Amino acid sequence: MMRRLPPQSHEWIDRSRTVNFEFEGKQYSGFAGDTISSALLAEGQTTLARSFKYHRPRSVLSFANHDASVLMQAGDVPNMRADVTPVEDGMQLTAINTFGGLEQDKARVLGALSRFLPVGFYYKAFHSKRLFPMWERMFRFLTGLGKVDFAAPHLRTPKQYDFCDVLVIGAGPSGLSAALAAAEAGAAVVVVDEQMRAGGSSTYQPGSRMAVSLLEKVQAQPRIRLLTGTCAVGYYADHWVPLVDKDKMTKMRAGTVIVAAGAFEQPAVFRNNDLPGIMLATAAQRLLTHYAVQPMQRAVVLTANADGYRAALDLLEHDIEVAAVVDLRKAHAGGIAESAVHTRGLEVYSGACIYEAIATADKRGVKAVKIARFDDGQAGPEQVEVACDGVLMSVGWAPAANLLYQAGTRMRYAKDLEQFVPDALPEGVFACGRVNGVYRLDARIQDGRRAGLAAAAYLGLAAVNESPVVQAENESPTHPWPIVAHSKGKNFVDFDEDLQLCDLQNAVQEGFDNIELLKRFSTIGMGPSQGKHSNMNGLRILARLTGKEPQEVGTTTARPFFHPVPMSHLAGRGFNPERRTPLHGCHAKLGAVWMPAGMWQRPEYYAQSGKSRTQCIQEEVMAVRTGVGIIDVGTLGKLEVIGPDAAEFLERVYVSKYAALKVGMTRYAVMCDESGVVIDDGVVARLADDHFYFTTTTSGAAAVYRELSRLNTMWRLDCGIVNHTGAFAAINLAGPKSRAVLQQLTQIDLTPAAFPYLAIRQGEVAGLPARLMRVGFVGEWGYEIHVPAGQGVALWNALMAVGEIEAIRPFGVEAQRLLRLEKGHIIIGQDTDGLTTPAEAGLDWAVKLDKAFFVGQRSLKILAAKAQKQKLVGFMLAAGFNGTAPQECHLVIRAGEIAGRVTSIAWSPSLQRHIGLAYVQVDMAEVGSVFTVRIGNGDLVDATVVPVPFYDPANLRQKEAA
Amino acid sequence: MSTLQLSPLDDVLNTATFVAPGMGLPVALVDVSLRPRYGCKGPGAATWLQSMGLPVPALPNSAVALAGDGHVLRLGMTEFLVEAPAQTVQTLSCTPRSAGVYPVLRQDLCLHMTGRRLPQLLLQTCSFNFAALDLTQAPVVLTSMVGVAVTILPGERNGVPDYRIWCDGSFGIYLWHTLSSIAVELGGGPVRASFE
Repeated sequence: MMRRLPPQSHEWIDRSRTVNFEFEGKQYSGFAGDTISSALLAEGQTTLARSFKYHRPRSVLSFANHDASVLMQAGDVPNMRADVTPVEDGMQLTAINTFGGLEQDKARVLGALSRFLPVGFYYKAFHSKRLFPMWERMFRFLTGLGKVDFAAPHLRTPKQYDFCDVLVIGAGPSGLSAALAAAEAGAAVVVVDEQMRAGGSSTYQPGSRMAVSLLEKVQAQPRIRLLTGTCAVGYYADHWVPLVDKDKMTKMRAGTVIVAAGAFEQPAVFRNNDLPGIMLATAAQRLLTHYAVQPMQRAVVLTANADGYRAALDLLEHDIEVAAVVDLRKAHAGGIAESAVHTRGLEVYSGACIYEAIATADKRGVKAVKIARFDDGQAGPEQVEVACDGVLMSVGWAPAANLLYQAGTRMRYAKDLEQFVPDALPEGVFACGRVNGVYRLDARIQDGRRAGLAAAAYLGLAAVNESPVVQAENESPTHPWPIVAHSKGKNFVDFDEDLQLCDLQNAVQEGFDNIELLKRFSTIGMGPSQGKHSNMNGLRILARLTGKEPQEVGTTTARPFFHPVPMSHLAGRGFNPERRTPLHGCHAKLGAVWMPAGMWQRPEYYAQSGKSRTQCIQEEVMAVRTGVGIIDVGTLGKLEVIGPDAAEFLERVYVSKYAALKVGMTRYAVMCDESGVVIDDGVVARLADDHFYFTTTTSGAAAVYRELSRLNTMWRLDCGIVNHTGAFAAINLAGPKSRAVLQQLTQIDLTPAAFPYLAIRQGEVAGLPARLMRVGFVGEWGYEIHVPAGQGVALWNALMAVGEIEAIRPFGVEAQRLLRLEKGHIIIGQDTDGLTTPAEAGLDWAVKLDKAFFVGQRSLKILAAKAQKQKLVGFMLAAGFNGTAPQECHLVIRAGEIAGRVTSIAWSPSLQRHIGLAYVQVDMAEVGSVFTVRIGNGDLVDATVVPVPFYDPANLRQKEAA
Repeated sequence: MSTLQLSPLDDVLNTATFVAPGMGLPVALVDVSLRPRYGCKGPGAATWLQSMGLPVPALPNSAVALAGDGHVLRLGMTEFLVEAPAQTVQTLSCTPRSAGVYPVLRQDLCLHMTGRRLPQLLLQTCSFNFAALDLTQAPVVLTSMVGVAVTILPGERNGVPDYRIWCDGSFGIYLWHTLSSIAVELGGGPVRASFE
């Protein structure tokens, strides 16, 4: 029975504040500062969870943020780590992964069936394709951790960046020493530690003035920021380390990183080593010191190092009886703690092991252990039974080297320490303390100082004129084989996944004898603790079974994040940039239905009461065809090139000729990449001999500007490029009545003689400085009017006001797409793809191969000599067609093979037919040919190739007579 | 600037929730987009600005304050952003461009941000280390904030961080909403322009 001890000198709890909470339907109380586990243990609740596979009772193992078997659900928050999560008033907690509650978990029957559920059983038993859905449902029901509440509110967890010269990971003695050395050399230092308080092992192995003094110095050093309760969960290039605390994730960019993350204490493997009451020695020390919880009343200490003897003495100091100390080693040097144990008269079994722990009648605790001689992994036949209600395991350590691995550190297995240590560290990364194979306190502090000075020197802050000497360990802190075979099993290697020694033996026997294969077949190290307590023992087992050394076996890949991170932190506050034209509010007032266009929001159409989407769009189309429509085209890219070489620059980047383009005129422009693929189009307007204004596609603007800037830098022409995309509002006024509307607002002569088709003029519209282009993307008389963005609303309102008499109607992107389709104008990216050449898209008329040079010219010349494979054609469905029409991307089929695809298709209200564009093989492109399109349900629909434009082929709409 | 000129935030300013201005506000942001502004770039820009009587920052990515009010920012080697009294901007805008001078129409969103907790807001929105800057050098930072390319003029007034941020006006409402929500979390928020 565990219980709360009298006040301890270094306890972390506040006894003046009681915390009441519920666990599994029962009321408990603890103190502020308690973790969930410590509060429950103090109240005598020793069974805290059920294991993942066999649903065995589980309790504290590490009590160090790695008790993956003790996860709890608190309301809508699943998988809270009870060993480190502070208990809060009013918490309602349940154990996860139970069927009928913790006490009466019906799934505990699985434990009795364990021999029918060997490692990898599901690969062998449930491969039937027919039955797989049933098995899948069953396993999804039986497995999984915690319950996700889909109604839980989205937490906008903040994320933040941070910066420092030196990031020290681990606030134990070595980390603090490193931080102090670096800070004293002038570095801005951040120290992080996943525990709630700094000090590392010195907080639960009190009495070391050296460590306390170190912490005091660190706290007084203004160049050091100490972040506790903060876990460094990954390492990325250039010393970028994500730090996770309770509230957020911080992306720390450090000048250099010192890993002083310590080591994970490792469990011993013996039968029933998972019973509540059996824990790592450091877990017991933490319970005693930090939370004043007595972990047991009569203990057996299983050890293989000096730390175990120290733990036995700590138990005695807290009036806990130590029934026996069991030392796996036959012979060793001994030390002060061991001498003290002998002096206290404790029973010490050397060269012995715990063969098995014997469970209490309810199987929720330990009542005794069987101690036997230990010889190379085998327990001797003679056994001594020693009564106890708890076992401390102190048999060794595994370095917390995950971040070092991620940083690219080459590790080597140090036989004298029986652990991996850094062999070659990457530039700017340093290691110290236990992760570096240094264990004694004074040596760790020295090692930290060495690392701190080296980090400062790396930053150029201090010359390395001091070389602290770090003395070698005089004994290995880790036993090479803390594993005891047992014929009845239940000697767990991986507590997360309930993997026993025999599971790994069977996996290796079946041929999974590589560390990566073994991991995937057995799932060792794949649970929530990510192998922190199982990988090292698993590695030792594999090494022994394959006759290799640990160095040869190697370790699995430690990917970021090596410690679980709450999904709320990962999702966090999202930044999704959105662009709006200045006319956004005008559209919203008119009932715009929005659609995304890259980063932009554009009106798809304008909803009208009582009318369907299709009706609205078709009315918008007809308004442009018969009256006047107005559309916001401010999302188009708008660039300028200015300077004596401006024309030469455009000659090089577009496929057409611009050197002879008259001032005041525009020309369609197609841009190719170096392979001759069409990548963008627009209109180039000449404002002066040395000044061009040109548009790009909405989605291409940024990329085109970037590429043109690159080319201009490379070519060193005497001209400059200005990106005015966001600086200009742009409105297209289109339709036979557009001229009449516009003329009311400007003194510019709009007669066709003065302002012909494809001309550009500058002047005032509605009192605003404007650039006007007479272009006809939608196939009607129209003007594209560009004004400074901040004056866009004024222009829109003025046009709407004077256009009212002509029933001016705003139209959206869908109507625009239909109108341009009727005119046969293509949309780059929709009617082209990443391989389309100008010839294939029917743009070969724009390509001037006789120019001196343009980007893509060489490729196009080569392609021109080859047979063309496909061609974009216009098509119509049969008059009166009333079936399901094809959609964009539906395939053209010939003789059962793919022969092309539809790129655009729509019902044309002007033509009263389905019209579209499609790529077909060249021999199918002749006008009048019929091809077949396979639609979504597999049906085939005939289409006939027709000439484009579908609408106004003679371009009469651009002439005054029209 | 024309009375017809609107801020990129015009759609939201009338409905925005403003906090009461005060010198102790942890973070305050104010829309100052309608301040007169002029931009130009090109190999002749520096010389031309000097010929127009304006001081030009000697170093790329730095600024000089204008006597009275305003700044000249040097963005990279050959691009400049001038915020100055309307008369100065008018003069620059109306002067015919010289060789090697390419006018840049500036229709930016411009925010004035201040407050002792402004550094926290910057840490949540921008991966640039402003704390490492030497403000005596009047640095100008061209970086990305919440996914938007921004130009930042960091400063300090009475020991309190005091920054100007410019971005393409089409991102204005997104940037305003994003920064405002974080400012509110930090105990501050948007303040009416009259606070300026």
